[in-house]
Amino acid sequence: MEQYSVFGKPLPRIDAWEKVTGEARYLDDIFMPGMLYGKVLRSPHAHARIVRIDTQKAEALRGVRAVITHRDTPGVKFSFFPVFADKLPLCRDKVRYIGDEVAAVAAETAAIAEQALSLIEVEYDLLPAVTDLEEAMKPGAPLVHEDKEKNIAFEGHKSFGDIKKGFADSDYIFEDRYVTSKVAHCCMETHGCIASFDRLGKLTVMMPSQAPHTVRQEIARILDIPRSKVRIVVPAVGGGFGQRLVTDMKVPAAAILSRIARRPVKIVNTREDEFCTARTRYPYIVELKTGVRKDGRILARQARVLIDNGAYNDKGPATLNYAGECFAVLYNVPHVRYDGYGVYTNKQFGTAFRGFGNVQVTFATESQLDEIAEKLGMGPEEIRLKNANKPNELMSCGATVTSCGLVECIRETMKKSGWDEKRKMKTDLGNGWYRGIGMATMVHTGAGGRFYGYAATDTFTKISEDGCITVISPAPEIGQGGKMVVAQITAEVLGVDPSRITVINNDTDIIPYDLGAWGSRTSFVCGNAAKAAAESVKEEIFGAAAKMLQTTPGKLCARDEKIFIDEDPSKAVSFEEAAVYAVSNLGYPLSGKGRYTDPLAPQVGIDKKYGHHLPTFTFACHVVEVEVDSGTGEVKVVKVTAAQDTGRTINRHMAEGQIEGSILQGLGYAISEECVEDGGRMMNPTFADYKIQTAVDAPPYDVILIETDDPDGPFGAKGIGEPALVPLPAAVGNAVYHATGVRFKKLPLNQERVYFSLKKEKG
Amino acid sequence: MGKAVVLRVNGEEYELEVKPQETLLDVIRERLSLTGTKRGCETGDCGACTVIMNHKAVSSCLVLAVEADGAEIVTIEGLAKEGKLHPLQEAFVRHGAVQCGFCTPGMILSAKALLDENKNPTEEEIRRAISGNLCRCTGYTKIVEAIKACSGTL
Repeated sequence: MEQYSVFGKPLPRIDAWEKVTGEARYLDDIFMPGMLYGKVLRSPHAHARIVRIDTQKAEALRGVRAVITHRDTPGVKFSFFPVFADKLPLCRDKVRYIGDEVAAVAAETAAIAEQALSLIEVEYDLLPAVTDLEEAMKPGAPLVHEDKEKNIAFEGHKSFGDIKKGFADSDYIFEDRYVTSKVAHCCMETHGCIASFDRLGKLTVMMPSQAPHTVRQEIARILDIPRSKVRIVVPAVGGGFGQRLVTDMKVPAAAILSRIARRPVKIVNTREDEFCTARTRYPYIVELKTGVRKDGRILARQARVLIDNGAYNDKGPATLNYAGECFAVLYNVPHVRYDGYGVYTNKQFGTAFRGFGNVQVTFATESQLDEIAEKLGMGPEEIRLKNANKPNELMSCGATVTSCGLVECIRETMKKSGWDEKRKMKTDLGNGWYRGIGMATMVHTGAGGRFYGYAATDTFTKISEDGCITVISPAPEIGQGGKMVVAQITAEVLGVDPSRITVINNDTDIIPYDLGAWGSRTSFVCGNAAKAAAESVKEEIFGAAAKMLQTTPGKLCARDEKIFIDEDPSKAVSFEEAAVYAVSNLGYPLSGKGRYTDPLAPQVGIDKKYGHHLPTFTFACHVVEVEVDSGTGEVKVVKVTAAQDTGRTINRHMAEGQIEGSILQGLGYAISEECVEDGGRMMNPTFADYKIQTAVDAPPYDVILIETDDPDGPFGAKGIGEPALVPLPAAVGNAVYHATGVRFKKLPLNQERVYFSLKKEKG
Repeated sequence: MGKAVVLRVNGEEYELEVKPQETLLDVIRERLSLTGTKRGCETGDCGACTVIMNHKAVSSCLVLAVEADGAEIVTIEGLAKEGKLHPLQEAFVRHGAVQCGFCTPGMILSAKALLDENKNPTEEEIRRAISGNLCRCTGYTKIVEAIKACSGTL
């Protein structure tokens, strides 16, 4: 008999039915009685002083129920990290990017609200704008925040080992500079909210969110009301990818409008709003210096990282820090130095995005590693295998890698892709076409992090009198399968089909406190809590079944909807019979509670010694095959072979789905996507001009799941939602180099850039 | 001001007075409360609002309601019959083709329009048929597999 009857199987997701029938309700599908439509007036200027705002005409328009400006807000500056607070919900003296929130209206229809916006008069006094990050760092550059001395918003520094010694001991030193681009999440559902204040001052916000509890705290801070007065309810969510972690100012605006109008207020982004204001991935400049021995061992690594923060802090400090952690872990380099600076510019600001800084820095490190290998006469695979992390290794930064499948990931991708033969094939196909194959690896957290000093959560599970199971879990469902992870783990423990299970996960008044879906933490943290809760309720139902079978609970097993005596499976009751028996004969219902705690978390806040921040790591290696047309600059990705260390795969379809989706997002980042900005204005805010990959662009993927059995994950699993995006840009760059001999150090490798670079280098 | 139109949606007839600028998407979502049809971009670029109109997949955000007068329209709500999923819906569930689900209704309707016209499409034809339906989650593989699984069976 197989070890597991449910865990690992490619079972249908429990939330798929409502999505294929169109019954799943997303935010904009919800219409509340009396609901008003809100719109936000945004700055048309990248940098300007607000001289005067006059809302009288807008207020006088028939059907307008509320108009607000900064005067209606508590005027508390906000940022995700209170220490970096710099953003007012509605601008008071100054606007700092094209899209900055200036005023908001609520009206009976969206059309009236739109018309009201056009009646608000704002007089601006234009200021010189700074839209280039390196210009912004120069002395005398216009200050984005006039109360600060310079445009450096934050810094982060890490140093492990002895970097000077590391370079002194090295045979070769490589120095390169890499530039990554600004890209948008492009969730298919644009962002929105419905805010509704009741008469006792309690605010309910419906919004797509991947971190409802931290968003609750944020909104309470911005509105200066107690957390207990804020409830977040999350409808079906049309994608997240990091964009739905931190609130934007639509939510407090809708809340204040609702308080004044005493009606629910809905604000939903148009696609153009979304592209111009919903926040993006942070563009990085990475100056990378690496020291290696002749035999390919990396001895020292130093990075100076500049982040284009945009006009306000959001997740910038965290992405800077996190990227540094991964930088210090991959290949266990003995001497590491990492210095990062977030720089204010008068542009749309960034936020979390799948890969979280790591993908930007990995583009640099994994691109450069191929150059190092070439110089040393080694193959790309050889230098990676030489330096690859191994299980149970202590890193120079103080972290211990527990489960680790990096070597297997490299070897399996090589085998499945036909690496050895393809590296030797002729790359010049004639007619101006070239082909090549490249690889890149990565490390990422597989379990969130301990940064908040808290990394725990609870789960409650009940078995109803009819044998149906309800799990109350904080695992967010943003498309990634959080609900099914919880259901599948619960079903494995209780030996039932997941279709018996309902997961309630979307209301901060109900679900246990949790930090949300980020850092690939849901499977690990919420999965562990769900497993513990299922084990707890299993004790209860085994108590009932033991009485029915006249045995002791310790002798029982649960599998295939039955509870039976392990030594004699013919002595069995159905799961449902046992549940009915408990209520009818024993006189009590069945419930259980489970908790995942991470005792190290309270000891390691963000500023404390590194080493202990990430509970476990996940690894991957991707091999990308390309064909390059020097006549048009097109990079055609022919195939991607991706091996991912999953710990243990919870649901094969879902794991593959995460990886396949990550690959295509990563390819978009590598070759086709870019927020084109001019003077701080986004020039391509439509899907016609901002090209995400379509079904005809998508290459075949060969996805390999490497199981390493994590000692701390539920049934050995770890999180894999983010990491498969991380190696893509570097792997594409390495493949294009193999094909053409031209190295790209700037993203994206779009047609224009590739065409002109090939023309310049090859004539 | 308005113009009277008759729409046949999922086999039911609706007589409505619509404004000249009202789109089919607006009418389906806001007047008929069929919110399975999604608003993704309103510029015809993403395919989330795809419905079948007179046997062709169309972006309902690009169709004026007045143009749909007399048309036969199928939305995602019209597919499951008597508590049973349409084979395409079933295949999307079984093949793990659904993640966030926001593109799913439009994707299924584009696939249905294809299979209604071409019972055994090649993979290339499938990919071309859904190339106007953007998906940010799946990488399309499992969607294509689900549609393939229905080829020749409808």
